[in-house]
Amino acid sequence: MSGYYTPEEAQDIFLKANEAYANEDYAAAKEGYEKLLANGQGGPDVLYNLGTTHLAQGDLGRAVLALEQARKEGGQAPDLEANLSVARARQVDKVVGATAEDAFLPRVAAATDGPVVAWTFLGTWVAAFVLVLLWRLLGRGRRTAVGVLAVLLFAVAVPSGLLVATHAYVGATVHEAVVLAPTLVARELPQPGARSIFEVHAGLKVRLLEETGRFVRIRLPNGLEGWAEREGVAEI
Amino acid sequence: MRRTGSALGVVFAVFALLATAPAWAASDDLDFYQTADREEVGTEDTFRLTVVVVDAPANAQVKLPESGDFSILSSSRSSQRSISLSGGGPAVIQDVTRHVLVMQATRAGRLKIPPSQITVRGKTYRTQPVELTVRAGRVGGAPSPGQAGRGGGRQPDPFSSIQSQMQQMEEAFGDMMEPDRPTIPRGDSDLFLRASLDRDNVYVGEQVTLSLYIYSRVDLSSVDAVTMPKLEGFWTEEVESPTQLSGEQRVVDGIPYRAYLLRRRAIFPVKSGTLSITPAEADITTGFLFAGHRVHRVSNALKVKVKPLPPGGPEDMPNAHVGNWRLSMDVSQTRVELGQPVTVKVSLEGVGNVKNVTPPALKGPAALKIYDPTTTDKVSPQRHRVQGRRVMEYLVMPQRTGSFTLPALEFTYFDPRARKYEVARTDPVTITVEAGAGGASSIASGAPQASSDQANEQKNVLTAGGLRPVRYQARFEAPGVPVWKRGFFVPTVLAPLGLLLGVALIGGVRGRLALRSEAGRGRQQAKAARKRLADAEKLQSSGDVGAFYGEVEKALHGFLEARLGMPVVGLTREVLAEKLTAGGADAERRAKVLFVLEACDFGRYGGGGDPAERQKVMDAAAAAMEGWA
Repeated sequence: MSGYYTPEEAQDIFLKANEAYANEDYAAAKEGYEKLLANGQGGPDVLYNLGTTHLAQGDLGRAVLALEQARKEGGQAPDLEANLSVARARQVDKVVGATAEDAFLPRVAAATDGPVVAWTFLGTWVAAFVLVLLWRLLGRGRRTAVGVLAVLLFAVAVPSGLLVATHAYVGATVHEAVVLAPTLVARELPQPGARSIFEVHAGLKVRLLEETGRFVRIRLPNGLEGWAEREGVAEI
Repeated sequence: MRRTGSALGVVFAVFALLATAPAWAASDDLDFYQTADREEVGTEDTFRLTVVVVDAPANAQVKLPESGDFSILSSSRSSQRSISLSGGGPAVIQDVTRHVLVMQATRAGRLKIPPSQITVRGKTYRTQPVELTVRAGRVGGAPSPGQAGRGGGRQPDPFSSIQSQMQQMEEAFGDMMEPDRPTIPRGDSDLFLRASLDRDNVYVGEQVTLSLYIYSRVDLSSVDAVTMPKLEGFWTEEVESPTQLSGEQRVVDGIPYRAYLLRRRAIFPVKSGTLSITPAEADITTGFLFAGHRVHRVSNALKVKVKPLPPGGPEDMPNAHVGNWRLSMDVSQTRVELGQPVTVKVSLEGVGNVKNVTPPALKGPAALKIYDPTTTDKVSPQRHRVQGRRVMEYLVMPQRTGSFTLPALEFTYFDPRARKYEVARTDPVTITVEAGAGGASSIASGAPQASSDQANEQKNVLTAGGLRPVRYQARFEAPGVPVWKRGFFVPTVLAPLGLLLGVALIGGVRGRLALRSEAGRGRQQAKAARKRLADAEKLQSSGDVGAFYGEVEKALHGFLEARLGMPVVGLTREVLAEKLTAGGADAERRAKVLFVLEACDFGRYGGGGDPAERQKVMDAAAAAMEGWA
């Protein structure tokens, strides 16, 4: 397997995988998409198709994983959200109870688009400083407009800079994952024989809190927590 | 007890017995042999070993063969006495005792059944051993008539023709039928109830035929009640249940009987192991009218050895999927208008448990609404085997226009004769749905609800839901890295800050350096002078004329000192003019300087109160400073 495909080769693999999907040869379709991903030529479109193939095949865990990865990389899209809804409808688990309140920063990060915020900050920040320099160079009487514009740009740059810092912090500390195992037991302690608290099933989105040995502590959207085997979940 | 002929025959026999008793008792001429009904058997086959003793005394001890290579499934004993009167000599009485063992080999190979033994008056006689070729599995085939060796001289078999007929039937039916060889119960030899199986070693789900007969040597009037055996572990299907008694001639151990079939059932074991069938019971009335009497009879119990299905089949395959099946799918029409139903029949036809078999469910695309099927069975047993057809009829209602495919169906079953799993398949069927010519408006008026339903059936229903299709175009890219993690981000953020700091730093350094030179000091003074002139402008409108002119004069003096690099206060006008000339001021600038100084002198001492005059002085001072670097 070569480490890189030319754009034409990648396109050929992609089209053949699509054709296999149309013929309901899901194994061949999956192989094609995974080949592209393994060679670093994936992207949200390939991930979306892979997730849809898994979903058609009935592999709920890997379907949700690929679709969530597609959303993480490419943002929301109508077809992506529709197939995610189908996957959620097929899930065995129904998380009941009050949704656990997220910390402030993760909520802020979830409500804002990281790349947009980052590019906004970068643009306004650089432009504001350019105007400051210009202000110094200009004589009296011509500085006012430049000064006002610079202040406005700083007014945008500073909050967006804080949002970028929030995204960076949340990205480094919050880890979301999808349950892949058909049935995953969450235990009270990170030991194989520990008391079982609850069971989750393929496709459920959980949060990884900490890891020890071959166990990870997972938290459900309603705040339920337990230790599950690491290989039963995959990080988005 | 056994009846042997008529009353006259009995009388003759008694006399003959008395006449020949001494010779009989002293005879050592013992005929003792054993035969097997086959030369070649399989480990899953049963065979019969018959041990025959002729003219053995009553106290003779027969020891039947025992071997670890064979297991004895059942044994029976029968005896027959014949008296022959010929040529005026004494009657010849012959007692024949038969021991019939139903046996099964436990391993493959060329095996030997050890000899049987009989001890008569302290002397032991042995038969010859019988050699058999045993193969693994089932060899089948009919028993060969009386080969496999015998110890003594072979006795002519008066019923060989009947055996031959049975053999021909067995060959015709293959493994479908095994002849029953009943044993006559000791107490009820004239009338007994016999339950039999066509086979006793089957797979789970494979048919076994249970037959219940009355064997009778007396006239039957009626059968009043029949209690069939408890068939726990079996699924049963009636094959034959005669309403009238119809007898047929059968010979059992040389004795003719009338055999009347009471019931015949197909039984399908649903679990593996050795399953027991309890005895059947019947109340039978014999004789006619007032001479008849009622008797109660109980049949023999039975056992069936049921093997589990071999590995290799689908995990969730039902036990009923055993036999030989054909699968078909019939569609009423492959081109249909929207709103018109299509009937799809999925048929499973063959030999096996028809009423319990489950044809594969019809599935199709969402555009074809498939209603729950109706199931019809047609069972038509032939030669005691249950066979027939199970049809599942689906109503399929197209929901959209277009071409839609009903996928191929598969049915996996176990064929016990081939001893392997088989798959029956159908072909996929494509149904083309076209828009109706009349549309909803063509529906006949009726009940509003029915009309509405019919109208909906004719619509091209486009329902949201289901999976969205895959994307046909893609932008191939490596896994995304957040913008703030890319290499350029931090330098780009820090660069403007650094640049600004650098500029400020450079400005500060330059200012300090400028203060250290003459020119620098001059520029500082000139700057201070301009600032003072700006302050004087504020005094222009106030009433303090002297302060205004004093401030203007100080500003101008400060500017001139900065430009000329020397104190100018106290210089005469002529000297000042010379210095200005030397400092590079042109005539016009010199004139303005002198004019302003003169006006300031005049103003400080009381003149110049006119605002217009002060403005003129102010403008001249500014003009004198402006443009002189």
